[in-house]
Parts: sequence; C-alpha cells; structure tokens
Amino acid sequence: MHEELAEDGFTVIAVAIDEAVESVRALAENTTYPVLMDPDHILTELYAISNVPSVVWIDGQGRIARPNANEFGSDMFSEYTGRTREGHFDQVRAWVRHGVVPDDADSEVADLDDDELAARLHFRLAAHLRRIGDEDGAAAHFDAAARLAPLDFTVVRAAMPLRGGDPFGEEFFALLAQYQAAGSPFHGINPLRRAG
Amino acid sequence: MATITVLGDEVTTASGEWAGGRPLIEPDHLPAAIGWTLKPEGLCRGDQCVLVGDGSALRVKDKLDLAAVVGALDCPALVDADAGVVVMGQPNAARRTAVRERLAPDFTLADLDGVSRSLSDFAGKKRLLVAFSSW
Repeated sequence: MHEELAEDGFTVIAVAIDEAVESVRALAENTTYPVLMDPDHILTELYAISNVPSVVWIDGQGRIARPNANEFGSDMFSEYTGRTREGHFDQVRAWVRHGVVPDDADSEVADLDDDELAARLHFRLAAHLRRIGDEDGAAAHFDAAARLAPLDFTVVRAAMPLRGGDPFGEEFFALLAQYQAAGSPFHGINPLRRAG
Repeated sequence: MATITVLGDEVTTASGEWAGGRPLIEPDHLPAAIGWTLKPEGLCRGDQCVLVGDGSALRVKDKLDLAAVVGALDCPALVDADAGVVVMGQPNAARRTAVRERLAPDFTLADLDGVSRSLSDFAGKKRLLVAFSSW
C-alpha cells in the first residue's frame, strides 16, 4: 500500500514498540517505508496506545484524521474481528485519494489514567535496569507496571520476552483470556469489540 | 555525592544526592540532566518557559528536587532512590493534545540503521502511523 500510494503524497511510518532490533528487522524485510525503534515506548505515552497493532491516520498538517485503531496487516484474525486487511486498506486509499474518512474517524480515544501512565514509567525503568544487568530491579518494576495496568499489552505482553517468557505461549493466552473477559479494553477503535 | 540517572528523552547522569528519597542536584546541573534551565522567569528550554513562581517549591536549600522539576514541567515522574534513577515521562500536554484536540504530537526515534527520524520529517504527506511489535 505504501508503494501504491507513494505518488499520492502518502507514507507509512512504522514504529516498533520493541527493543529487539533483529526481530523487528526480520519483520521489516523488504519494506520501503521508515521503520523506527521505540524501546522506551514513547509512542504509547504520546498517543495513549495500549496494544499493537494500533494505527493512526495523520494528515499533511499534522491533524489526526482517524485516531488509534486496531488494524491488522494480515487476515490472521479476520474471523474474530470481522475486519480484513483489505477493508482497512480500501479506507486508507479513499482517504489518501479523495479525503474521505470512515464514520468511526471521529471516535474518541480515552486518555491514559494515572495508573496507566505510572505503568509506562515502571516499564521503562524496568527495561533500563534489565539493560544494565539489574535483573532483580527490573523484575520489581515489571511487576509494578503489570499491577498498575494488568490488561495493557504494551506493558504486560511486551515484558514477556524481556523476562525470559514467551509472548506467544501459555502466559500470553492467560492474558488474552483475562483481556477478553474484561471486554477487550483498548485505547481507540477496536474491531474486536466492534465485532462483538 | 551520588550519581543520579535520568531517563528522559535521553539517558543522562548528574551528580547529586538523595535526601529522604528525593533526588537533589545543583541548579547548574539541570540543563545537562533534562535540557531545561531554571531562570528568574521560570523553567526554560530554548525560547519556551514554564512559570514556576519563585521556584521555592523546587528547592531544598540550595539544591533542586529533580522530581519536583519534572512535575513542574507537567511530565509524569517516577523515582527509585535504590536504583538511583528518575524517570521523566512525555509531557502530559502532548498526549492530551492528541486525544482531545487531535493534533499529532511529534516524536523522534532511531530507524533500523540508527538514523534519527521524526514524524515532522514527513510533514505535508498523509501518514499512516503504525505501532507494531515482534512480541
């Protein structure tokens, strides 16, 4: 889509909420748009992002044309979301070429509350302590972050690989079950909820 | 004296001390620590100043309480005296601008080659900002 719409004054900017450069590089193979690393999760603070993927449409003047939405780059979850990758792409094309935005574009994104903000700082401190070899300090702050924002994937799931866990394993499915039982809370437009 | 690490837009260190769990530094060290300077008119960075009254709420004797300074700049703060770290979050105003006024906050991050790129580098284009991950 990036290549298709490049002539129309459009670009994708991908930001990895991640510190695993090589894993991100593997995912970003053959991409022609910028792929940025955000190991400290700055973007989740600035845009109140609580899960990935989250996409934000930003116009040429820096206004948010459609806020945080959980849109996937593949159809792996279409059965659950009732939403296809092409469905999103068609909407992006209509926006880029004709300035048309979908009805959900004026949806509100809930601000982060104090606990969600504090969780992000604990996560960041934990990631820092881990990088300098203080595993115990890191664990304490990863735990504090998870207590404050137990259903925030950028806090809890992002910590799994940093704590030697498996973000696609048992603990992820336990988190997912809790998340879904709580109504799939998401800062922005969530197809999972839309479909439900 | 102790070394205080600041996790802000960059990771910096400042020499200072911990007093009752509060991170204290010399006012002269503030610009190197967080990029802001305490002036008579307030906390300033470039041509931007934030009013802080007479600044007495930020001071402990002749030192500055770094966490109080971060709070005065309306950024979330987290202090861990054992680890010797102050975490300075992104400005609350930037996030509120995004969720309330729908203006996209600018940011600068390194790409996969380590080159700094900003959202504003692509001003004039319609941008699909995609937050993703390998986890």
